[in-house]
Amino acid sequence: MIYQLRHTTRYDYAATVTLCHSEARMLPRALPWQHCEPSEISIVPTPATRVQREDPFGNQLLYFSLEEPHVALEVSVATRLESGPRPAPVEDRLGWRESRILPPLSDPEALAVRMMTLDSAFVRRSRALADYARPSFREGGSALEGVLDLNRRVFEEFTYDPGFTTVATPLDEVLRSRRGVCQDFAHLMIGCLRSLGFAARYVSGYLETVPPPGEPRLIGADASHAWLAVHLPGSGWLELDPTNGSLPSEQHLINAWGRDYADVAPLKGVMSGGGEQRLTVAVDVEPLES
Amino acid sequence: MNQETITLTPMPSGVLSALLAGYRSVGGFDSLLGDDGELRPHWHALLENFARLGLDGISQRGLEAQRLLHENGVTFNGRALGSAARSWRVDPLPLVIDSHEWPLLEAGLAQRARLLDALLRDLYGEQRTLREGLIPAEALFQQGWWLPPCQHSFDTERAALFSLGVDLVRDSEGRWRVIADRVQSQAGSGYALENRIVLARSMPNLYRDAPLRRLAGALADEHRALVSLAPQHREHPNVVLLTAGPGSDGYLEHAYLASYLNLPLVESLDLVVRDQRVWMRTLGGLKPVDVILRRMSDVWCDPLELRADSVIGVAGLAQAARAGNVRLANPIGSCVLEHPVLEPYWQALCERLLGEPLLLEGPEGWWCGAPDALERTLDELPGLILRSFEPGAAPVHAARLDAQGLARLRQRIVAHPDEFVAQRPLAAASGPVFDAERQRLVPKPLSLRMFCSLDSSTADGSLEEVAYRVMPGGLAWVGEPGHPSVNSEVVKDVWVLADSPQPHVSQLRQASEPLLVTRDGIDLPSRVADSLFWLGRYGERLDNRARLLREALVRLLEQDQSSVADPSLDGLLEALELEPLEAQAEGEQRFGLIRARLLSLFSPDAPDGLTTLARAVHRNSQAVRDHLGDDAWRVLNNVGEEFERCTSASVGRRACERTVPELAAFFGLCNETMPHHYGWRLMDIGRFIERCQNTLALLRLALVDTEHNGAAAWEMVLATTDNFTAYRRRYRSELHPSAILDLLLFDEGNPRSVGYMLKRLRRQIDHLPQPSSAPYRSSEQRLVIRASTTLQLADVAALAGLPHSPSAREALSALLDALLDPLGELSEAVSNSHFAHVETPRQLLEMQVQP
Repeated sequence: MIYQLRHTTRYDYAATVTLCHSEARMLPRALPWQHCEPSEISIVPTPATRVQREDPFGNQLLYFSLEEPHVALEVSVATRLESGPRPAPVEDRLGWRESRILPPLSDPEALAVRMMTLDSAFVRRSRALADYARPSFREGGSALEGVLDLNRRVFEEFTYDPGFTTVATPLDEVLRSRRGVCQDFAHLMIGCLRSLGFAARYVSGYLETVPPPGEPRLIGADASHAWLAVHLPGSGWLELDPTNGSLPSEQHLINAWGRDYADVAPLKGVMSGGGEQRLTVAVDVEPLES
Repeated sequence: MNQETITLTPMPSGVLSALLAGYRSVGGFDSLLGDDGELRPHWHALLENFARLGLDGISQRGLEAQRLLHENGVTFNGRALGSAARSWRVDPLPLVIDSHEWPLLEAGLAQRARLLDALLRDLYGEQRTLREGLIPAEALFQQGWWLPPCQHSFDTERAALFSLGVDLVRDSEGRWRVIADRVQSQAGSGYALENRIVLARSMPNLYRDAPLRRLAGALADEHRALVSLAPQHREHPNVVLLTAGPGSDGYLEHAYLASYLNLPLVESLDLVVRDQRVWMRTLGGLKPVDVILRRMSDVWCDPLELRADSVIGVAGLAQAARAGNVRLANPIGSCVLEHPVLEPYWQALCERLLGEPLLLEGPEGWWCGAPDALERTLDELPGLILRSFEPGAAPVHAARLDAQGLARLRQRIVAHPDEFVAQRPLAAASGPVFDAERQRLVPKPLSLRMFCSLDSSTADGSLEEVAYRVMPGGLAWVGEPGHPSVNSEVVKDVWVLADSPQPHVSQLRQASEPLLVTRDGIDLPSRVADSLFWLGRYGERLDNRARLLREALVRLLEQDQSSVADPSLDGLLEALELEPLEAQAEGEQRFGLIRARLLSLFSPDAPDGLTTLARAVHRNSQAVRDHLGDDAWRVLNNVGEEFERCTSASVGRRACERTVPELAAFFGLCNETMPHHYGWRLMDIGRFIERCQNTLALLRLALVDTEHNGAAAWEMVLATTDNFTAYRRRYRSELHPSAILDLLLFDEGNPRSVGYMLKRLRRQIDHLPQPSSAPYRSSEQRLVIRASTTLQLADVAALAGLPHSPSAREALSALLDALLDPLGELSEAVSNSHFAHVETPRQLLEMQVQP
């Protein structure tokens, strides 16, 4: 599939902002199954400084600073990209317990996998999370079976409820109430897997939404999406989308990954002044041809 | 103690044996006595010299040292805002390290610094140590130690680590062992310096005669090394010391060090990042910063890339460092070197990274996540120390836990063995501490902190040349290994002996003279200028209040309790902004009410009370600690000390009586010793705006407001302004309003007159930095000219009918208003044009990712 991706974030301030330092992670990653053409980036007002670099997780990171007084900030990124199918998951003969053994240090992913087994800002391992996850992992069953079952259970047992949680709602609250949005489900499942000893990472990106039959596609009505990937001996990093109970496909476009949301927030910044702020985000995933 | 008393003390040998009576090593190694129970040779000369002071002499020196420590207020300051007040005592006997053992220790510490530097570069670079399995990555990457934004942010061709503090003990065999490394905010070098100065002053002979290595050279070199860190080798780089502010632990030490090294002491709001450069906000505008000596934990340094909830960091700082436009000492990310998991691996790391054996070993220990380690840990648990990887967690001595605590610890380890390191406790060797009560030396376990910093001659060299210099001295404290220094009751200076007498440096400060580069002038951070201005205003307001309250209490005490008749008391209540008394209050009730109202000014809750004002004075003075002379600081430390104990009129009166000369001494010392730079001028402007306003308010009270008219009120004005004598000399005892007005309003020759004060304000304001492009007078200049001209053009004849003529009172009232208005505006104008009004930066909102 070829997509035209547009992501615009706009801040309107009640008072003048005199200085703002920002980091944007809005440039999609280049991957074997995801080919990105150079992005068009527009930042208004024009930044005094703009520096692009790769962050330690391999994401494209854009630092910029606005040093003249301003009352609004708009960052838009437009990228044309081609998305293909992921490699299919590989069933291996190990029991799930053995599958958690860390890859040898000679493996290029060795250090990244180790980092993704640990607690992070939004995801802390806990007994409650392990207890929730365990029924999916039957004795002698494979890890793949287990993670697929867990993915299905989160999809079925949790209610999608925008407005119930915020970016800061703790995981045990999500677990107790069985409610949340994609970000919560991704964090929750990462927490479950890490609590059982697996390495799991947070993936941020976009999902093409298909309008109901007969209705036109609404421009800008799409949103960012979040899912996760777990590391398994046979398959390597296997992506899972618990919000949809599915394995991500060509419609899942990857922006960035990290330990959790804190590592991959699309735009963050620190400003002086500004007063009240209003944030508007528009995302458009337009399929061009298949 | 003078020379004569010294000769009267008993023979040193007698004192010496009294000092050593009952001293035994507590099993294992003792730094004073050898295995044979005899004094170690290097102690002989020093102890004899020590004994020459006599037992009482030593005790006295101990007290003297304590007093000096208290007055310097670095280690001790009950008023340090929010920071833990330390209450340790400095031992008059230093801990001595022999010239023979020093080279070994020195080499070990220098090696440790090189090792940490190499590891730091590796962990944020190639990560060979992780890929080769020397350190378990799954432990190292635990949150809060290895900081992802710092990956690849160091120049791989230069040393990354600048300085290091190492906590050491001698074990029971006398070998030096490393307990911890400090790289983020190494408290202690300032304390060590202070202890040295205090001991040198309280025991000059002991200090002078010992062949003692001096600290000044190491600190001068540290300064040179900091300068050499400057990117692009700027010729006069701006090196600053970044502190978390007066509310943080160690703030006074930061101020002390900044002042000693002659670096501007800055807080986050003094700095701003623009164009990937760090700038300091000064009176003269933004000034580039090249090197930051950091006394702030890594994770708080930059709210953009590190902890978003940090309000003490500087947004964009990490990017400025990454871009190579500023160097931080130590760089952000160094905190990983304090990770407990490294403890068991130093030996292997040293061999891998430096290709040499480790000279200073730590305690024996292991990572509990290693194969079979869990079992071993649980087997031996009660005899171990457990260090969790939770940042900030204190080591847990399993032996000190009760059964329940031990069970809980066991559970935590079983749940997450990979989050713990287990260590076998070390028994610290003992060393001598003077017990003032029993007047003899007693053996105590001692811990030390020593300091290394990049050798200035190699700071810029290639990696092969990198070397570290070890400060020949440090801080020792009484406590078992791992016992935090701040919790110790006794600290000791550490003396490193040389083979031959060292060049005599009588004043440490003089030794660093080559570094003293005058930095006064418009480089003054505008926050400092702001605090100095308010120090002036609050100090003057406190002075005025103390004078008025003293007057009121004196008058009250003179009254017969049953019939309080002095009408000026009502005026004083009004001048002190206290509620007037109800008319019906009479007799003793009246007395009691007045007394209660007056004493309420000592309550910490009274908004404009003396206690509140004294606190405002201290708050502002602490923010500018490095700009105040030591004497001025000492005097100021005492201001308001007894306010909260003032529960009776006579005690209150004495407290006020004391405050007036204390403040006069403080401002006098500032005038005499502070360089007359813009900061001093702003303090003076603050004082005189305040004093002018107070004088005008008093004149209105006594001469315009009819109720308080009369000789008693006039006398009160003269007494409050301390012009009673001046008046009497001119006019004998005849009181007349016109004469008072002349003395306190018009006479420019009288420093207490408004005329004089306006002249002084004008002179100070004319000297403030002005934007060079503006051809016109600044708004501050215009306001002070307006006030001066109003006074000079006043129609004195119209005031002739005072006190009885209503028209004369009206004319005076109009004149006082015309003087007060521009003064009120002046304060605001000064503040607007000279102080940066910086809002604490905030985070952009973040949006939840949906669906």
